[in-house]
Amino acid sequence: MHEFINEKISVVTVYDRIKGTVIPKRIKWQGRIYDITKLSYYKPERVGRNIVHTFHVSNEAMDFKLRLDSYTLHWTLIEVTDGNS
Amino acid sequence: METADLPLNHNKPLVMHIDLNSCFATAMQQAFPHLRGKPLAVAAYNSPRGCILAPSIEAKRFGIKTGMRVMEGKHLYKDLIIRTTDVQLVRDVHVRLKRITRDYSTIVSPKSIDEVVIDFNPVQIVIRRPLTEIASEIKARIKKEIGEWIVCSVGIGTNRFLAKTAAGLHKPNGLDVINHQNIRHIYSKLKLVDLNGINHRYQARLNINGIFTPLQLLDAPLDLLKKQVFQSITGFYWYRRIRGYEIDNVEFLRKSYGQDYALGKQTSDPEELSRILMKLCEKMGRRLRRSSKAANGIHIAILYNDYSFWHRQSLMNQPMYATRDLYRGAQLVFNQQPYKKVVAKLSVACYDLIPSAKSQLSLFDEGDDKLRKVSDAMDSINNKYGEFSITPALMIGLDNTVIDRIAFGAVKELEDLYLK
Repeated sequence: MHEFINEKISVVTVYDRIKGTVIPKRIKWQGRIYDITKLSYYKPERVGRNIVHTFHVSNEAMDFKLRLDSYTLHWTLIEVTDGNS
Repeated sequence: METADLPLNHNKPLVMHIDLNSCFATAMQQAFPHLRGKPLAVAAYNSPRGCILAPSIEAKRFGIKTGMRVMEGKHLYKDLIIRTTDVQLVRDVHVRLKRITRDYSTIVSPKSIDEVVIDFNPVQIVIRRPLTEIASEIKARIKKEIGEWIVCSVGIGTNRFLAKTAAGLHKPNGLDVINHQNIRHIYSKLKLVDLNGINHRYQARLNINGIFTPLQLLDAPLDLLKKQVFQSITGFYWYRRIRGYEIDNVEFLRKSYGQDYALGKQTSDPEELSRILMKLCEKMGRRLRRSSKAANGIHIAILYNDYSFWHRQSLMNQPMYATRDLYRGAQLVFNQQPYKKVVAKLSVACYDLIPSAKSQLSLFDEGDDKLRKVSDAMDSINNKYGEFSITPALMIGLDNTVIDRIAFGAVKELEDLYLK
């Protein structure tokens, strides 16, 4: 399964003051809660003067591509895959 | 001079070539861990006729290669996973790779989106450890700072050619050195087309002159290469290159900016084609103005769906700077095409570049300066709010047309990436 979603979601994050990092730990999408176990890639991207942060995260079964708009502070689930197709 | 029997270069190998293995695919596997260890191909389009840009290391084991169609790949392995390119992801990997390599020398040259050359010659006095140790450190840093799934092959040689050849010897995750002691042994195991820069046409040319192996090329006299095989200075370049002397550390100046687009929905509708032309001109104009240049000439190339080809170029009477000028020039040339056939691919390029500040103001066109200011203002808005926040009206509804792509080779495109 591989789908482009582009839907706003709720996200619980952890901010590490020592490393200065923000890591998504739990997301809620379509009423279901997914606990994140791994952050596999993070990239900030400049869109004009705004910065959009893209997080590639996973749990045991699925990979999620999340996007945080630093201007609106909205989290969007961009893409989801289980790696099987 | 020199050339009757030039010896092999006996200097210490100080050029390092780093090649990220299956870059597009491994970057995807890095970002999506559930794709790791599976045959995956990154393609231009996820459709049967989409072109495979990069198979993963696992897919290569099934014989899947760059340039194949998706359907051909699936014939070789029916469960092949297809993904389209994540342009931003690959560019981010490249920028991180460049950042790592810049820590080791003052001369770092990206050769493409997944290849970087580090020249240690300027810093050889301060290097107090073997280059193989530095290469291992870079490999470890790539895993730590880019991602644990990213692997690279590293080659070390006395020139860029030998370093690249060394990087290609053991893939994936190789580390090889070519020096004057092992060069003959390594050439003895390679074919002519394994040498970077020798394609099938050059191979045929060499074969006609009795050169069938890299060793025979190495032993060929200069006169044979220069006067008979290549019939140009190229023969002299090969004579030095294959012996390990540097002749490829040349930076070419940019002479043109171009954009092209393979139409997903092929059409002969002039209105639709004009809209695409406008978008191409806007993208090209943004890059032109970012480098503070104006162009005197415009070139249009069209590939029709019957595989016939038409192209024309023309010099304009005024330098073009604003998108409107570029579009007007492009449309003028475009209208000269003698056919009204279905277009499969449309390309536009501007050439004869001059510094934009030096371009002469027109005596008669008073609006020229205003147009420049409008263009600059539009660029500022797009810089602030993102690409295509403000566009010419002709581009309305073209949001998903002319997708952002990474060109093969793409050294020139990388300049734009750093400028951003």
